[in-house]
Amino acid sequence: MSAPGTVGVVDAPAAGQPPPPGPRRPRGRGGRPRPRATLRARLRRDWPLLAMTAPAAALLLVFHYLPTLGNIIAFQDYNPFVGDDPVEAFLRSEWIGFGNFEALFADPLFWDAVRNTLTITTFQIVFFFPLPILLAILLNSLVSGRMRGFVQSVVYLPHFFSWVLVVTFFVQMLGGAGLLAQEMREAGLQPWNVMTNPDTFILLVTAESVWKDVGWGAIVFLAALAAIDTNLYEAAAADGAGRWRRLWHITLPGLRPVIVLLLIMRLGDALSVGFEQFILQREAVGRDAAEVLDTFVYYQAIATQQWGLGAAAGLFKAVVGLILIVAANKIAHRLGEQGVYSAS
Amino acid sequence: MKPSPPGASTDRRTMLRLLGLGAAATMGGATLTACSKEAGSKGSATKADAIRSVLPTHRPAELLKPDIPGEGPIPDGYLNYPRQLVDAVTEQPGRGGGAIRTMSPWWGPTPPTLGNNSYLAAVNAKLGVEVNPSLQDGTTYADKLNAMLGARDVPDLLSVPNWEVDKVARFSDAVKALFEDLTDHLRGDAAAKYPYLAALPTGAWEYSVWGGRLAAVPFPTDGPFAWALFHRKDLVDKAGLATPTTPDELHELGKKLTDPGKGVWAFGSVFDMVQQFFGCQQTWRKKPGGGLEHKFENPAYRAALEFTARLFSDGLVHPDTVASKGADEKQLFKAGKIILFQDGLGAWQGMQGEQSKVLPSFAMQPLPVFGTGGGPAVVWGSEKPVFFTFLKKGLGAERVAELLGVLNWCAAPFGSREFELREYGVDGRHFTRAADGSPVPTELGRKELGAQYTHIGGRVPVKVRSGDTPNFVRDYLDYYQKNIGLLEKDLFAGIKLELPANWSKIIQPTEDKIRDILRGRRPIGDLDRVTKDFLASGGEEGRAFFEKALADNGR
Repeated sequence: MSAPGTVGVVDAPAAGQPPPPGPRRPRGRGGRPRPRATLRARLRRDWPLLAMTAPAAALLLVFHYLPTLGNIIAFQDYNPFVGDDPVEAFLRSEWIGFGNFEALFADPLFWDAVRNTLTITTFQIVFFFPLPILLAILLNSLVSGRMRGFVQSVVYLPHFFSWVLVVTFFVQMLGGAGLLAQEMREAGLQPWNVMTNPDTFILLVTAESVWKDVGWGAIVFLAALAAIDTNLYEAAAADGAGRWRRLWHITLPGLRPVIVLLLIMRLGDALSVGFEQFILQREAVGRDAAEVLDTFVYYQAIATQQWGLGAAAGLFKAVVGLILIVAANKIAHRLGEQGVYSAS
Repeated sequence: MKPSPPGASTDRRTMLRLLGLGAAATMGGATLTACSKEAGSKGSATKADAIRSVLPTHRPAELLKPDIPGEGPIPDGYLNYPRQLVDAVTEQPGRGGGAIRTMSPWWGPTPPTLGNNSYLAAVNAKLGVEVNPSLQDGTTYADKLNAMLGARDVPDLLSVPNWEVDKVARFSDAVKALFEDLTDHLRGDAAAKYPYLAALPTGAWEYSVWGGRLAAVPFPTDGPFAWALFHRKDLVDKAGLATPTTPDELHELGKKLTDPGKGVWAFGSVFDMVQQFFGCQQTWRKKPGGGLEHKFENPAYRAALEFTARLFSDGLVHPDTVASKGADEKQLFKAGKIILFQDGLGAWQGMQGEQSKVLPSFAMQPLPVFGTGGGPAVVWGSEKPVFFTFLKKGLGAERVAELLGVLNWCAAPFGSREFELREYGVDGRHFTRAADGSPVPTELGRKELGAQYTHIGGRVPVKVRSGDTPNFVRDYLDYYQKNIGLLEKDLFAGIKLELPANWSKIIQPTEDKIRDILRGRRPIGDLDRVTKDFLASGGEEGRAFFEKALADNGR
């Protein structure tokens, strides 16, 4: 994102353009490609790098790739208790082809959950996603470093609270026996039922998410803002650009790659909107408002031990997420953005 | 004897496995419908007879004569604490085996773990082996249990509440795969090696048989009622209000007690108790003309639903109960923020004792059970053991003997030093003695004890007067004796039911809709629709399943 090294301001590529290509393959003096180093030579040369990535790769292998194999139970009437050990249970459970997927797609409750999930995702992309960006820009414009540090700490700390705490906090503040309601009663007013109104539930969960995560979400944007060359602002100001013009022509273009990247990632997660937050408030507003895909899976698959059905729902989520990521990335490339991975 | 699991449903699976494998291998996406099969168990019911041969021979081991002898499922009551205790177990059960991992439910703040808990240290020293308990929140026990069973990763001793057993699909498969077969250790006179296990009532052992084999040590119930409607008698009396004897009076009482300005609402959760007042069955009852009737089809259920929905719409239920899953009603009740709520009778003595220190006038009492419109109430419950303790499979005969020895110690009867140490901890540390010699828990005692040994041990249940709950034993036994006649007969007593998957799946969505009606999000008239949907998508399958189970057992 930043302009490379020592190039003058005038020649700097517009922020947001792809960074220069990475280091090229070393070439011989004559410009001809050097013969490929042997595997052993490369190992000797790169072993510190390999050693550094090994733990992460091992974690990925053990906790992501290995469990992925378990997805076969989506095609089984999985019974964890057959055979003498868990591996045998996988192998000996009855194969039922796409039976789990059929049961899933034939279930109106499933589609209710998908619809709720997508509604909440869409709502939050429109009303929640831009807020960390705004907050980051606001924080960045604070002159006092101490003030900025203080505000930043206050707004990002709630991220570390569990959902149980956040929901309890909202109940204690806004619930029927909470602070606000009791104050309103004392003032002779009729308290409003924010916590138990299914019609405004989407606003409530979004407000909770904002309270919990807006500061946390701003961090990455603050980092991106810090990377924008301040010379650009000075030059623009010297040319007579006002505050809004600078925001529009320098700050936002500078943030664009990060915004696009995060938006694509969020789309990949379109079918996950959280679990605890919804399971905790489900009784308060009812299933119709609060059932999302993850709570559906919990109640219909985990709680009734229909493991295969749960795995099928998980696969469905993953496939939809993958399609959305690939599609969004393609669109980003069309629009000249870099996206999550570069076009090859 | 060859273990023959009556009614097990594994044959279908084994036969079709190879077929399915081949099908899956050759199947393309296009043939999706053609080769798919439906998932989920169809359920099974094990017959109640043919288990007598595996049960332990019953040998009572009563150290003291009870003041109020129990009858049937009602436990013995003791009004005096013995001055002289005896040693019930002379030989340390520990045989030099490694630490024993256990898991059991607890409803309360989690006590400190092994290493930071002087109660555990004291009991373990007596046992001669390290017991390392893991206590899990009883209200969310199923979450942990499901994951644990699904992963086939169980501790040495696992306590499973009976209501969780019913929810676990293919539980008998799990028992066979994960837990030790105890038949050869405890059948007939073999149980004499463990005298306090042999003293557990035969009725409780009968429930501990899976697939014709003895699979668990039972924790017999100390009273078969599922719920009581507790009220703060001190606060009701202070307000000068009479005890209600009809639903209308209950509603009226609620209105008078509710005062949102002071943060007081009359009710917490009460729906299960209201159904009982209205005379509604827990799930099924026999129709006069044969067959089973679900409670949704009983007009009493509709009346109870309507009544409770009115409590909500009139604003008589605490907003925390309305707003959150599992509001901490015990805390609200202790603080006098709710006056009536339903809870298990097991909560009574502990809370009364604890709170009488904070507020001497604190009086927690179950509301007398009343019927409505001339009809009698029905009291739900079951004589099933409360918990089953399973031993991990494949530990070897010697280790199994050690574990059973520990369980035997944990089942030592009232009047023994072992009982006192298990229930109250160390004298002077976890409890002090009242003038009459009965133990009164200290702060440390309340903090460190969480039934770590009681809930795994089984024991002959007794109710014992303690210094801080002087009237409890009489009140408790009176309540039972008064209402035992109303106890609904368990149609399926002794039959091991594994519910069909479609039945299990329809429960939650239906409960969601019922809750919508209760909270006023749907009109009461929707009950007809809810019932119809319920019956159509699993309810009728369930009815047929339960009717068949009854017919197969000649009931």
